[in-house]
Amino acid sequence: MTIFLFLALLLAYACGMLLPLCFPSRPHIQNVIAHGSAAVAGGLGIVLGLIGLLAPEPLLWFLPSSIPLLTFSLRLDSLSAFFVLTISLVGLAVSVFASGYVREFYGRIPVSLLGFLYNGFLLSMLLVVTADNAFFFLIVWELMSLLSYFLVVSEHEKPDVRFAGLFYLIMTHVGTAFILVTFLMFYQETGSFAFEAFRSADQSLPEGLRALVFWTALIGFGAKAGIVPLHVWLPYAHPAAPSHVSALMSGVMIKTAIYGLLRVYFDFLGGPFPWWWGFVVLLVGTVSALLGVMYALMEHDLKSLLAFHSVENIGIILMGIGTGMVFYAYDMPHLAALGIIAGLYHTINHAVFKALLFMGAGSLLYATHTRNMEEYGGLLRRMPWTGLFFLIGAVSISALPPTNGFVSEWLVFQGLFLSLELPSLFLKLMLPIAAALLALTGALALACFVKAFGISFLALPRSSHARKAQEVPIPMRVGMGFLAGLCLVLGLGPAVVVPLLDRVSEPFVGISIAGRVFEMGGWTLAPVSGEFSSLSTPVLAIVLVGLTGLGWGLAYVLGGKGKTRFYKTWGCGLNVTARMEYTATGFVQPIKRVFSTIYQPTVKLETEFLEESHYFAKRRHFEFSIEPIFLEYLYHPILKFFSTLADRSRVIQGGNLSLYLAYIFVTLVFLLVIMG
Amino acid sequence: MRAIDFLLIILQIFLVLGLSPLIVGVIRRVKAHLQCRHGATVLQPYSDLAKLFRKEPVISTTASWIFPATPYILFSSTLAASLLVPTIIAPMPLNFAGNIIALVYLLALGTFFLMLAGLDAGSAFGGMGSSREAIVASLTEPALILSLFAVALTAGSANISAIVYKTAILQGIVLDPPPHLMALVALFIITLAETGRVPVDNPATHLELTMIHEAMILEYSGRYLALVEWAAGMKLMIFLSLLANIFAPWGIATTLSPSALGLGLLVFVGKVVGLAVVIGVFECMFAKLRLFRVTELLGAAFVLSLLALVFFYILRV
Amino acid sequence: MPTLPINIGSYLVNLCSALLLLTCFAIVAQRRLMACVDLFALQSVFLAVTATLVAYLTGIHHIYLAAVLTIAIKAIILPRILKKIVRQLNVQREVSMYVNIPTGLLICGGLVILAFFITQPIVHLGFLLTQDSLAIALAIVLIGFFIMVSRLKAVTQVIGFLMIENGLFLAATAAAYGMPLIVELGIFFDVLVAGLIVGIYTHQIQEAFGSVDTSRMKALKE
Repeated sequence: MTIFLFLALLLAYACGMLLPLCFPSRPHIQNVIAHGSAAVAGGLGIVLGLIGLLAPEPLLWFLPSSIPLLTFSLRLDSLSAFFVLTISLVGLAVSVFASGYVREFYGRIPVSLLGFLYNGFLLSMLLVVTADNAFFFLIVWELMSLLSYFLVVSEHEKPDVRFAGLFYLIMTHVGTAFILVTFLMFYQETGSFAFEAFRSADQSLPEGLRALVFWTALIGFGAKAGIVPLHVWLPYAHPAAPSHVSALMSGVMIKTAIYGLLRVYFDFLGGPFPWWWGFVVLLVGTVSALLGVMYALMEHDLKSLLAFHSVENIGIILMGIGTGMVFYAYDMPHLAALGIIAGLYHTINHAVFKALLFMGAGSLLYATHTRNMEEYGGLLRRMPWTGLFFLIGAVSISALPPTNGFVSEWLVFQGLFLSLELPSLFLKLMLPIAAALLALTGALALACFVKAFGISFLALPRSSHARKAQEVPIPMRVGMGFLAGLCLVLGLGPAVVVPLLDRVSEPFVGISIAGRVFEMGGWTLAPVSGEFSSLSTPVLAIVLVGLTGLGWGLAYVLGGKGKTRFYKTWGCGLNVTARMEYTATGFVQPIKRVFSTIYQPTVKLETEFLEESHYFAKRRHFEFSIEPIFLEYLYHPILKFFSTLADRSRVIQGGNLSLYLAYIFVTLVFLLVIMG
Repeated sequence: MRAIDFLLIILQIFLVLGLSPLIVGVIRRVKAHLQCRHGATVLQPYSDLAKLFRKEPVISTTASWIFPATPYILFSSTLAASLLVPTIIAPMPLNFAGNIIALVYLLALGTFFLMLAGLDAGSAFGGMGSSREAIVASLTEPALILSLFAVALTAGSANISAIVYKTAILQGIVLDPPPHLMALVALFIITLAETGRVPVDNPATHLELTMIHEAMILEYSGRYLALVEWAAGMKLMIFLSLLANIFAPWGIATTLSPSALGLGLLVFVGKVVGLAVVIGVFECMFAKLRLFRVTELLGAAFVLSLLALVFFYILRV
Repeated sequence: MPTLPINIGSYLVNLCSALLLLTCFAIVAQRRLMACVDLFALQSVFLAVTATLVAYLTGIHHIYLAAVLTIAIKAIILPRILKKIVRQLNVQREVSMYVNIPTGLLICGGLVILAFFITQPIVHLGFLLTQDSLAIALAIVLIGFFIMVSRLKAVTQVIGFLMIENGLFLAATAAAYGMPLIVELGIFFDVLVAGLIVGIYTHQIQEAFGSVDTSRMKALKE
């Protein structure tokens, strides 16, 4: 039964990839077929994911191949199923959105090609999270990277897009190299590329090798996930891609790295691992979360801002997982499960709201043709639906109750504060500090989204682009609306979500906590012990709605119906214009100043005075930039090193054909000598 | 939930709605006395609210639906937060609905929309207020979570009612001086910052150099302003209840008997009025700090609350 | 109502030591020199109260004398001298510092955590009446050092020095229930003399450099 479902899924993606090619120069038909099939495949994927999550045993599919060591074997266990579900949920919404959004590209970019890449990208992600053979995994992983690279450079006529693509390509291959090394180490120990063999090898690996695997996996998958300091490509690549692709990349592609980490650490390595693994993951997560949000605050390109928030949220996810790993190392399975569940919950939440926000940013781009927030403004009146959905996304990512971001961040907090029972003094010191930094991250994210929403959607339009903006086509609104609804559903329904996630963590920690996280018949989320703390988002939501009604009623009773007058804003005697409004740069100025140690801002202010008097300025030029610390101090030295190396090795480039033949000949002889 | 629980919730709503203007009035009165002014009666805020509700509101033609919706959201989120904080009886019936993180984020929900509303009318004042509020809120929110958690850990529960209840009946715990003292000082600073008091903000001025909260709500009038002002009063009351009941819960009712409730009410009013007097005196003793000096104060609150937490983790467990 | 589960005396001592630590932070966050001196005086009062409590609880009488001397010298005489210096030199504020205040606070937070961390094994032995005081005393010493290092004005540096002394006194009282009387007397005499010498020394700097900014003393190198 499930095999047919899976085949139908493959077929749908294949249709989406190939059928549009049969309709040359009919972009609309290509568009409908490509994204229609992707949406159908998304729907099938949701069903498949749910079946996989609920199935008692992992589902296996197997297809032998003639290449040694490679088998096309797929395995759908609860972890894979969770990621299949996440990818499909987002894939469904984004596909619907894309069928509207892609109209932008008619005549500029071949839609059939875009559809081919798009469907292939979604399919490759699904295969990444289900592959059960390292060789196969690497192939689909590479396929995913390449397809996303081609999607990033869709608009390759722009030089900055080409740069972003190249940067992404390099970073992702550095990551792939490390993943390859990880798998090769397993191969060396087990003599097989099958994940099954890796899984059974866990305890037999020598301690040093396990530690090495830990690091290579962290760097390899971290480069894809965008952990600090490997995050530098995200703010370039994600904005450069077409918005529906950014939504997929930021929403789900970087999550495949989370999948990889969980797979390697808990599934392959398993067993009791040293506590510092968890600590390193927690540390990386905390630093990524804090720096991600800090750099996001300074970003005024809406899509770059969202990309930096992906760094932040990957950090929060890793904080949850890192906490889980720490508890796992000390053999506290309940709390370990709690940490992992918190991380996974945030994974699906982030997938949902980040895809939503990127689609919102795409809608703004569609309507205004600019990504610069300083040119938006007043869009809520012009694009009410987009505005509403973006607001829901913003509230969710700011972790405000009763939305989904709040629930998962709340769970991460619980994990951190329950560290009281850890035996290690050092960790007891570090976990509350991590909690403090998480709280700071949350508060700064809130400020950032006040900026993002307030400057973009409220007050007066700041440019003619914004003034002429119109609401986006219905498919785009439907795609966003679906995810906006999902934000609320996931926020109100931890009672449904947590038991599902528990099925993912159960095989890892060997214990199910689904029965211990709820009280009051599922209304209240009370991790591990209800004594310690509890949360009920449905009740909070009911209370909020009820009290809003009370506020309205009070206003009515105390004030009567009353008339409301509409009048222009008082501008100290002048008519308020967009130039008087606070800008995004101005809004974050206090934050920039307070955290100047981190930003190292450089401000350039040039004033040209009137000739008559030095008291009157004719024009002012203001420029500010923050120092890209990681590029400056980490990447440039590395680049410099390699370019000097390349310069040095240029001497062997003689340009003479005989010389090159001689090189080949010498190499051949050398190899023969070694082999002999 | 039992019927009595609903009754208690309604009682709490009435208490918070009814008492919060009084606290504002007391603070103003104390300040007036100390500044050798005659001052209005402590009941003045009630008349102000009644007047504002009857006035015709003006809404900017620039603003979107966020602007008129915000007062209702702010009102309901603040009132919802107050349902998590015990006043005259512990535990509160809605104890299970959220712990301190829920409290902090419910308050943040109101702040989030208020900051948006500040930007919505398009005037530079509102934007300035929002921008300043953003930095103040970013620094107070983590400090608030940490300081409350430092107390929560002593009580072995992060639900506020449970903390208060356990402390009130001295069930296995009492105040633990060093961490609690640090948390108390941090929470007091946070109270001043979150409720817009001197030296962080000045509620009595409309000078653009100094105002934060008042700048955000500058465009509000009529019933919208009434709701915002009322919510501000409730927020003040929430923080005073936290200070009073977490650190000195004695006298709070722990049973449902009428005498216990009566005593609880008396003690509670006494405590919050006392704290209001303290805040009034404090406002007269200090000058408003420059915005970038405020961060020093908030930094101190953050460090102290972190220390309280670490103290507990290292030296107590 | 059940009785307090932990010893009330120990409770009060811990409370006082926590107040001592809080005044340290207040001094770190304070720019005005006069207020710094006042806060130091307040800290010394808390110290005296702690000493009195320890004396009462342990029955070691000579600690009473130490408490009285603390009040007399550190809470009354030295603050007066320092205030006089501040008034004469007419420097009211610390305008520039090597480390700005928020960073300074964070560093002090780190120092306190370090102090807790180091003393944790001793505290957990749990034989002391004043279980937290040792950790706090070490923290005060470290913060005092930090103030001496990070501030430029001679007066604040003196306050830093006196804070170190306060921390050491607290440690001695808390961990060892006071030092032998003669040692204590010697220390108080030392502190007093140190205060007087420093007073004169600040005057000399002022006269020589026209400022009490000790960073000007770099000029002596040449």
